[in-house]
Amino acid sequence: MGYVEIRDLHKTFAEVHAVDGVDLSIEEGEFLVLLGPSGCGKTTLMRMIAGLETPTSGEIVIGGEPMDEDIPPRSRDIAMVFQSYALYPHKTAFSNIAFPLEAAHKTRSEIIERVQATAAMFGIAHLLQRYPRQLSGGERQRVALARAVVRNPGVFLFDEPLSNLDARQRTTARVELKQLQRKLGTTIIYVTHDQVEAMGLGDRVAVMNHGRVLQIGTPRDVYDDPADTFVATFLGSPPMNLVELNEATWLGFRPERFLPRASFVAAADVAAFRFLVRHVEYLGSDRLVYGRLDGESADEKDVIATVPVTVDQPIAAGETYDFAVDRRALRYFDRRSGSSSSDGTG
Amino acid sequence: MALAEQLRQARLRPARRTLADRGDLLGRIMLAPALAYVLLLAGVPFVLAIMLSFSSATAGGLEFHWVGLHNFAEILPDPLFHRAIINTILITVVSQIAVMVLATVTALVLDAGIRGMRVFRFLLLLPWAVPVSLAALAWVWMFDSTFSVINWTLRALGLLHGWLYWFGDTTLALTAIIVVDVWRMFPFATVIVLAGLTSIPQDIREAALVDGAGFWRRVFQIEFPLIVPIASVAVLFGIAFTATDLTTVYLLTNGGPYNSTQVLSTLAFQRGILGGDLGQGAAIALFLLPVLALATIILLRFARRTEIGS
Amino acid sequence: MQGIESVHLTRSTFLKGAGAAGAAATTFSVPAIVRAQAKSLRIITWSHFVPAYDAWFDPFAKAWGRSKGIDVVVDHISYADLVPRATSEVAAGQGHDLAFFLSPPAAFEPHVLDLSDLAKETERRYGPMVPLVRSSTYNSFTKKAYGFSAEWTIDPGDYLKDAWTKVGKPGGPVTWEDLLTYGLQIKKSDPSIQIPIGIGMSQDIDSNMAMRALLWSYGGAVQDAQERVTLDSDETVKAVEFGATLFQQVINPAVLSWNAASNNQAFNARQTSYILNSISAYRTAQDKKLPVAENTFFVPALKGPTGIGIASEHVMGIWVVWKFAKNPDAAKEFLLHLCDNYREACMASKLYNTPSFMGTCAAPGTPLAQKAAAGQRWVAAQFQRDPFGSAPADKLAVLATAEKWSTNIGHPGPANPAIGEIFDTFVIPDMFAKAATKQLTPKESVKQSTARVNAIFAKWRKAGLVGG
Repeated sequence: MGYVEIRDLHKTFAEVHAVDGVDLSIEEGEFLVLLGPSGCGKTTLMRMIAGLETPTSGEIVIGGEPMDEDIPPRSRDIAMVFQSYALYPHKTAFSNIAFPLEAAHKTRSEIIERVQATAAMFGIAHLLQRYPRQLSGGERQRVALARAVVRNPGVFLFDEPLSNLDARQRTTARVELKQLQRKLGTTIIYVTHDQVEAMGLGDRVAVMNHGRVLQIGTPRDVYDDPADTFVATFLGSPPMNLVELNEATWLGFRPERFLPRASFVAAADVAAFRFLVRHVEYLGSDRLVYGRLDGESADEKDVIATVPVTVDQPIAAGETYDFAVDRRALRYFDRRSGSSSSDGTG
Repeated sequence: MALAEQLRQARLRPARRTLADRGDLLGRIMLAPALAYVLLLAGVPFVLAIMLSFSSATAGGLEFHWVGLHNFAEILPDPLFHRAIINTILITVVSQIAVMVLATVTALVLDAGIRGMRVFRFLLLLPWAVPVSLAALAWVWMFDSTFSVINWTLRALGLLHGWLYWFGDTTLALTAIIVVDVWRMFPFATVIVLAGLTSIPQDIREAALVDGAGFWRRVFQIEFPLIVPIASVAVLFGIAFTATDLTTVYLLTNGGPYNSTQVLSTLAFQRGILGGDLGQGAAIALFLLPVLALATIILLRFARRTEIGS
Repeated sequence: MQGIESVHLTRSTFLKGAGAAGAAATTFSVPAIVRAQAKSLRIITWSHFVPAYDAWFDPFAKAWGRSKGIDVVVDHISYADLVPRATSEVAAGQGHDLAFFLSPPAAFEPHVLDLSDLAKETERRYGPMVPLVRSSTYNSFTKKAYGFSAEWTIDPGDYLKDAWTKVGKPGGPVTWEDLLTYGLQIKKSDPSIQIPIGIGMSQDIDSNMAMRALLWSYGGAVQDAQERVTLDSDETVKAVEFGATLFQQVINPAVLSWNAASNNQAFNARQTSYILNSISAYRTAQDKKLPVAENTFFVPALKGPTGIGIASEHVMGIWVVWKFAKNPDAAKEFLLHLCDNYREACMASKLYNTPSFMGTCAAPGTPLAQKAAAGQRWVAAQFQRDPFGSAPADKLAVLATAEKWSTNIGHPGPANPAIGEIFDTFVIPDMFAKAATKQLTPKESVKQSTARVNAIFAKWRKAGLVGG
């Protein structure tokens, strides 16, 4: 039994099923990412765990304690970092970090000690007397993290904590977050719509859509073996190519697996295609090649190949080339249900 | 094709810069009516009042015979004037404290989310929108010395055995004035405080919840400090409004009993307009100015200071 | 009074056959009208306490205007707004041509036209002005008639016959002392009456009148005939002492907050047995068929220990013509026309208005020398047989003698700007109220009020409008 257990959880807002029957088991010390497009129910799910929303039905257990709706957020042994950081604007960084400890009626000396220790951990000890408005985005994010960490809770809930940072800061912060989790060993539930964060941070990733968890597994699992066409196309940039195999089946393969036949060894077990190139984007490390497979009708969506810089074969728009996919990288999906099937015959 | 052609032609004939594009000029033009309003309806009378306070003008005559500080020298030793200053401050301070306490409590209750909140907000604002003269008439009847509804009610409930002469006793009369002022001002203050509460980001409240703060800690450490800047606007408005208000006192007690509930504005009216001594009336009315200016500066600085933190 | 010259007699005789009103007006000011630039007359007056009067007055004024080719506008405002409105019109230097006041607007003297000519012409037509009217419209120090009055209102005592009968005084009080003696008995015999004696001591016009009457009946006064301040006297202190006793024994704190309507309301609701007021409260009770109407009877001004019994007039209706008036001649002509029709006015006001020139109520054709007496007799006859349904019909008879026991608010001197300011800032009711509520001793209260009165007099003397 996991540290956080969620069983058949539902949340309905006026006819809308925001969370529609979610079961999750999160191990102690695990970093679980809830990934999905906006409106998929991931934030509502997290807010129910925090006690900020009341489930319509279902059960949440944290550390073996059932979290009935009369258990307020403060009694759930959780800490949360908000997308906006939700720092108290009228309090200094110090008072912000100290606030949960004050609420827990810690002694003044303990508060000072723990705030300073936590601030040192995040490298913000010199900023403690500043107000949030006087801090940069990255500094604010650290103060928010410190405010969560200082309480030493059983579970961290992170609601897109990196989305307000610029790209460079985000990369650094991702690394720091991962290190933090290793150091603290605390269970983390992390909500994001950014697949890079999800893949990079999560021990496991739960992909959600329309209030349901479609697939849960390691980043590799969900990327390589998507449970259905939604997961297949939500993850990856560009997403997995889906082409019509027969009346019942989609054939799926990732763009980076779709390469000129010449880049495979001759004996490799590949599926070969004639690829009619329509247009090529040069991205530095890769070329994105858009086109259609021979035999496909012209109005089909483009198939995309991500050709790494290491493949130096010239590719030009309007030409047709021999492309191929390693047969082990082919995935099959039922055209009616969208779910993954073992092969094209099933 | 046709569209591209149209676009190309549009590029060839760029539209002239219109007034709407000229932020600076447009701003000035749109500000002008407000400025004219302030100048004509506040500025001119203000200058006139200052001039009058140094003159011996009487009964509407605006010819200025300079008498220096004579008018001020006249009022300073006047016990009635002292009484009026004390009353003005007392009524303003007490009613504003009561208004802010009531407004905050009401706003917190409303903010907690009740059904039909909009309707309630609308109803709440009514006292503020009711013409004060009408409202005062109703209040005069409720507090009437002979026919007081309040007294009859209290008696019927067995809570009152004697009789309260609301406007016949200085303390009761001041109480009645304060009650009516609170009644008038508190809806407005509630709406402002409510706006302040509503403007607190939801996630900050939730952060406090998750951080383990109980109700009182949330109210006093999070919500109060965050509504201080906007609430101080309500207080400032309330002070200026109450301290300069003529109607409540004039209609309720007319300064009585025996001039003991005069405030500066009613005394100025009585001396300057009814009594015909415009100069002295202006001097009395102007006495408020430095006091209010000081209160404004203090409050604005206070509001600013809290704002820097946010 | 004024010598009646033969030329006036002649002219009066000439007018006899000519249809007095219209012709009189014509002879006086046709040339004036011809000169007038504006063809309009703007009048501002109060909303009369007897609404029937306004219903008569407005069409009356308009009809006169039509006959003269003048567009007459009549605006009515609350009595409490008369002075503020006048102040703002003076400050603006524009507004109405003709403005009405309920007490002497002496402070406006620098801003109004001298109406001596109008008073003279009226006396020439109708005989002498009632003396208290002259002291209320004429500044003897500056020799200027700052106003013109066509009517005033009597301020008798109104009492509840049954309550006073029960305590053995069916004729009502005669002296101030009676109020105390019988008030105490009424308090005992009829506990449903909350305020045995309903005399106000508040910041309102009725309290102003009542407290002056009490002051005078004890021999006190704000000023003497030469406009010298005489307030600080033993007589005043005695009056204040008595006022305090009266308040503590038979009045109650309700009266400290009364407005002009309060004593009427209390009386008509049987919450008090005696008030000092005009007959308007009684007329209201009659109109509304209140049981109290039958029970309401009247007494003249109460006597003090000095034997003096005088009351201030209840209302002194005074018209002024502003210096900025666009059509002053039309204004004066209209006032004359009003006097020409004063019988009608008296009846329209249900006898609330009493003529300022008794002669204006004389029958047309009465010789000038007899007009005042004839008018007086006509007015008295109305009071003795009230045409407005009093039972008994002679209920108002005491009002017939009112001229004898009524005086102006500056008594024994004239009303002047200082008296006006003292009146309008309620210095006298305050003096009584402060002693009555024991805020100050009677002596202290008189001292404090005298200081205020002296300051006011000094100021207006400096302005050259008050003698003494």
